[in-house]
Amino acid sequence: MVELKNVSVKYPSGVEALKNVNLTINDGDFAFVVGSSGAGKSTLIKLILREIEATKGTVIVNGFNLSKLKRDKIPKLRRTIGVVFQDFRLIPNMTVYENIAFVLRVIDAPLKYIRKRVPYVISLVGLQHKVHSYPDELSGGEQQRVALARALVNDPQLIIADEPTGNIDPELSYEIVELLKGINNCGTTILMVTHEHDLVRHFGGRIISINSGSVVFDEIIGGNDEIK
Amino acid sequence: MRLNSVKYLFKQGTRNIAYNKLMAFASFCVLLVSLLLVGFSLLFYVNINLLVADIEAKNEVIVFLDEDTSDERINSINKSLKAMENIDTVVFYSKEEAFAHLKASMADSEVLFDSMGDDNPLVDSFKIRIKDINFTDETVSEIEKLDNILSIRAPLEFVDILTGLKRVISIISVSIIIALIIVSMVIISNTTKASVFARRKEISIMKYVGATNAFIRIPFFVEGMLTGILSGVAATLTTWFGYDALVRVLTQDNDILKIFGTGSLVPFKDLALSVAVSYMVAGAVLGAIGCVISTRKHLKV
Ligand SMILES: Nc1ncnc2c1ncn2[C@@H]1O[C@H](COP(=O)(O)OP(=O)(O)OP(=O)(O)O)[C@@H](O)[C@H]1O
Ligand SMILES: [Mg+2]
Repeated sequence: MVELKNVSVKYPSGVEALKNVNLTINDGDFAFVVGSSGAGKSTLIKLILREIEATKGTVIVNGFNLSKLKRDKIPKLRRTIGVVFQDFRLIPNMTVYENIAFVLRVIDAPLKYIRKRVPYVISLVGLQHKVHSYPDELSGGEQQRVALARALVNDPQLIIADEPTGNIDPELSYEIVELLKGINNCGTTILMVTHEHDLVRHFGGRIISINSGSVVFDEIIGGNDEIK
Repeated sequence: MRLNSVKYLFKQGTRNIAYNKLMAFASFCVLLVSLLLVGFSLLFYVNINLLVADIEAKNEVIVFLDEDTSDERINSINKSLKAMENIDTVVFYSKEEAFAHLKASMADSEVLFDSMGDDNPLVDSFKIRIKDINFTDETVSEIEKLDNILSIRAPLEFVDILTGLKRVISIISVSIIIALIIVSMVIISNTTKASVFARRKEISIMKYVGATNAFIRIPFFVEGMLTGILSGVAATLTTWFGYDALVRVLTQDNDILKIFGTGSLVPFKDLALSVAVSYMVAGAVLGAIGCVISTRKHLKV
């Protein structure tokens, strides 16, 4: 669960990226975050990951009160969140398997579990045949599926995705969102930032629109695929 | 932490070396040069010390006794001398012995001695070796307090020179060694800084998935340590050959060593183990610290 109460973020440069935002994302939700460039979407993501701190207000993520969170507890918070970025951010000298297994090694998981779990999530994103490839041997869509597998491998409560489809073909975008929907159906909360209105219109669901740092629209709309 | 996690982190460290060959090689070279500079300075220091100790051991204080000192008195002086704390050995040198010695050493001047007949102009004496020559002064005045002492001959000026020389050598060597250690730390942490900078993206990814700073650091630590140990091995081999060659040159031409009044350098065999261990430990510590220092800045994501 993510809860923002009267949250403002002001960068040291003086830019007010978020202004008095109130937002609650409940467990099991699937929400799209939309808004023009510079609206403050990535700022919201960074806030949830505790990469930056709110200048005002309280942020609670998966039970962690971020304004009271000590530095050395940040890894604990991040282990409850899976992240997907526009630019994939895979480690280039690790294979697909290693990139994903890494997340489990970080939490000191037993080797036996790693050996079972990693191939399982790789099969979920349909990359069984690329297990031992390196990131630069994969297409953008494939790399993003690896990133997705990495995000969900430790079974996080929340997955946040900052324009996960920004660098891949539009047709493949649908595939990625389908995958996210599937993960959501198993109970994981999903927060996805996107520019692509087609995608939002197609899938529908909860839409949060941000404009110049304020939430200007937050409602559930029906998607095309539900009409079909 | 689980054993397999520890193994994993060690493997990452070794893999990192393979992936960053050029950087690893640069660190290796910097470490090797620093180790060799410090190592040779230390070896030089060890040998100089040995030489000084050699000279020190040759010190001799001669205590001349009054003429006609009785045998009993000589015995009791002998005991008193031996009882003194700073005296290592006491050897009695009778006037007859001294006279015979003198005659033998001046065989050409037989005529002179003939005219003297059996009239021995010399006196009995003790030859003494001091334990710590820095306290020669004190020991001499202690001996002076005994009765029947005619005079004492002690190499006091020589002791002063030697002590001064020793102090200068120590100060110079220690300063050189400290300076070298500082310089190499700076160079090493800069070299690894470059390699950490090249991997800052990787580090930030690790932080996003919830890796602790320690977890991120261990592979860097292992990498630095292994590079350091390798430098230590290379430094040991280089020193071995270099030092042996040096010893051979110096001992072949014995005159060079004789100028210093000594006939030997410490052979490498005697030092091999401590040299190898010190090189490897120093290399490992320097490498690891250099790596850890340089990761600090990039861990704040
Ligand atoms: N590190 C920073 N320091 C100062 N200002 C920043 C920083 N990051 C973002 N900003 C500013 O904050 C505002 C919001 O930026 P943010 O990255 O959240 O936008 P966004 O909605 O993600 O845009 P986009 O769709 O282009 O990714 C912008 O005006 C941006 O210039
Ligand atoms: Mg953005």
